[in-house]
Order: sequence, then C-alpha cells, then structure tokens
Amino acid sequence: MEAAAAHWWIWPLALFAVSFAIGIVAVLGGIGGGVLFVPIVGGFFPFHLDFVRGAGLVFALAGTLAAGPTLLRNRMASLRLVMPLALAGSVASVAGAVVGLSMSAETLQTALGFTVIAIGLLIAASKDAYGGAVESDALGAALRMKGDYVDPAAGARIDWRTHRTLAGFGAFAAIGFLGGLFGLGAGFANVPALNLLMAAPLKVAVGSSGLIISIINSSAAWVYIHRGALLAILAVPAVLGVMLGSRIGARLLAVTPAATVRRVVVVVMLLAGGRALLRGLGLWT
Amino acid sequence: MDLRQHDAEVQEAYATWLDFGTRLGFAASLVAFVLYVSGAMPSYLPLEALPRYWGLPVGEFLRQTGAPAGWGWLQRLGDAEYLNLACMALLGLVTALCYARIVPVLLRLGERLQAALALAQIAVLLAAVSGFFAGG
Repeated sequence: MEAAAAHWWIWPLALFAVSFAIGIVAVLGGIGGGVLFVPIVGGFFPFHLDFVRGAGLVFALAGTLAAGPTLLRNRMASLRLVMPLALAGSVASVAGAVVGLSMSAETLQTALGFTVIAIGLLIAASKDAYGGAVESDALGAALRMKGDYVDPAAGARIDWRTHRTLAGFGAFAAIGFLGGLFGLGAGFANVPALNLLMAAPLKVAVGSSGLIISIINSSAAWVYIHRGALLAILAVPAVLGVMLGSRIGARLLAVTPAATVRRVVVVVMLLAGGRALLRGLGLWT
Repeated sequence: MDLRQHDAEVQEAYATWLDFGTRLGFAASLVAFVLYVSGAMPSYLPLEALPRYWGLPVGEFLRQTGAPAGWGWLQRLGDAEYLNLACMALLGLVTALCYARIVPVLLRLGERLQAALALAQIAVLLAAVSGFFAGG
C-alpha cells in the first residue's frame, strides 16, 4: 500500500496515454470511444467501475463536443435530424445511469462484457448502406428530417431524407439506456441506426452520431456528478488525452484504410469485452 | 427563406456557442488539473491517500472519505479536485447553453416544432443538472 501511495501518479499518466490512443482509434473507427475506454480502464486499472463509467461518459462527451462545430458547419451533422432522436435518447440515458448506479459491479462487468463482445461481432459483420435515396414517412416529413451536404469526394451536393422514424426513436431510446447504464458513448450503435435503419447517408450518420452522443451524455454525466461518481484524477487526464488523440486521429483518418480501422476496433473490443466478462464472472480478478 | 437557409443559420448559431464553450472547458480543465497534481492548490484528499479509496464503490468511497455528493462540491471549490469537477460540469452545461441559444433563432424563423423540441431538451438537461434524476 505504501508503494501504491508513492506511485499514484503512474495511473493518471497511464490514463492519459490510453485515452490518447483510444482518441486516435475512436476517430478512425467513427465511434465515441467510451465503448473502448470503459472495458479497458475498468479491466486493467485499479479504479472502481462506478468511477470508470462516470469518466467514460465525460470522455465521450469531451471528444464529441470538440468535433461538433466542424461537423455542424460542414453539414455532416444535422440538427434537424439530431434533435428529436437525442431527446428520446437523453431521457433513456438518465434512466440507464440511475439503474447502473444501483447494480453490483460484478453484474455490470458481466453485462458489459457480453454487450461489448456482441457489438464487436456486429461491427465485424455489418456493411455500410448508401442511404439517402428514400421517401420520408409521415412522422419524418412532419419533423422535416431531411437536408443536404457537399461531398468533396463526389464533388456534388447530396440531398437526403430519412424514413422509419418511429423505429428510429425506439432505437435511440434503447441506445441511450445502454449508454447511461455502462457509461458508453454508444456511437457504435448510433451510426448503424441512422444509416441502416433510417437511411441517412453514412457521412451524415457518422457526423450526427457525434452530436447525439454529446447531447445524450450531457444528461447522464450529471447523474454521476451528483452521485459523487466523477473522480478528477481519473476523468481529467482522460478528457485531456482523448482531445489530443482525436486531433491526431482526424488527421490520420484520410490516410488509413477503413478496413484496417475496422479490424483494429473489433480486436480491441473483443479483448476488452472478454476481460470485463471474465472479471464479472470472477474468473479473472 | 428556404429550409436550407434556416438550417444554415440555426447550425451556425449552435456551432459558434459550442466552439466557445468547448474551448473554454478544455482550457479550464488543463489549468485546474495542473494546479491539482502539482500541489499548487490544496486538495480535499491528499493525492498519496487516493489509492486507498479509488477502488471502492462510490457509496463506500463517500462514506469513508466524507466527500460531498449532490451540490456539496460547489462549497469546496477551494479544493483542487472539486475545481476540476467544476470544469467537467462546465462541459456538461455546454449543450444546454447551445440549445438555449437556438430557441430564439428557431422562433424567429417560424420553426415552432423544432423550438418546442429544443425547449423539451433543455428541460431534460436542466432536470439532470438539478440532480432531480440522481436524488441529489
């Protein structure tokens, strides 16, 4: 215990390094990063999962807030699309955060392990949809869920609209609940919901996903703040690390093949999910 | 004015406030953390003592350390870890402020449904900020 007390500074330094690396991978993988941060830090660091989940929310919040202005200005994120979905998700995320803080760490670790492994396999198996070329349903038309953006790669303005709006609300409520429960940004699920379910173009889905995470996590983060579950020594190095890593990741994004990125994310998620699962089951403490 | 121009105006208003709030939050976090780990500011729990407590569930942590929950941290901003917490809380407020900024823009553009959604989101965020959901 004396040695641990003397070397307390190793952990924030290691957190900064891990968060920096996750920040790079998260941008490359189009995810918030909480899905990597929580199982890795929960599995390999000495902090209790209550504090890790609080830091995971702030971690994903910081990264997505910082990316927001650029995404809004180049119209890769659409407030018209984001606002109704984020409202459903943020109510559900608060419920998830309240439930999460009432569950035992072992139960949460086990559920987290299963969830992260399942998501990793889902990402490995999923394909991107084109999106955009659909007719709005009645609810989507009433909410005017449509827009346009200029795609530099195609050199053209892309008009888009979405459909299956009610199913989209249900999906974002479920994603928000899981995000609040585990302290995840849940971007891994936002993009398929926007792209595959609601037919938003992939770039709009990725950009809007970041903005949705920033809104949903703003609600859930306060639950952790009020419960005293945000530990500065854990949360602040994570926020600073992910900010720096995200900037590097954004630069690397242009030159890294998407298939490589997807493989990296899947492998890390399977390892981190497996560790959380074994810890939750008491097989590897 | 068409829908495209509406969107551009609303998104720019949101982006401007988001940009400012985020930069402020990050700069403040960096300064507060340096003050914390350098020992330039007093802290509620000595850094050397933290490893004894950070592996505890949050309820046990609060019980053993006597650390504040709810709004209690606001009264301890003179302690470095709670100044850091205030910086994290600032990040948690940025979205509500951005929504508050676009409500008058949406109303002026006649986007009543969008304005109602923004007000509902602000209500949810303020309920979370108030501690309503945390019982704090």
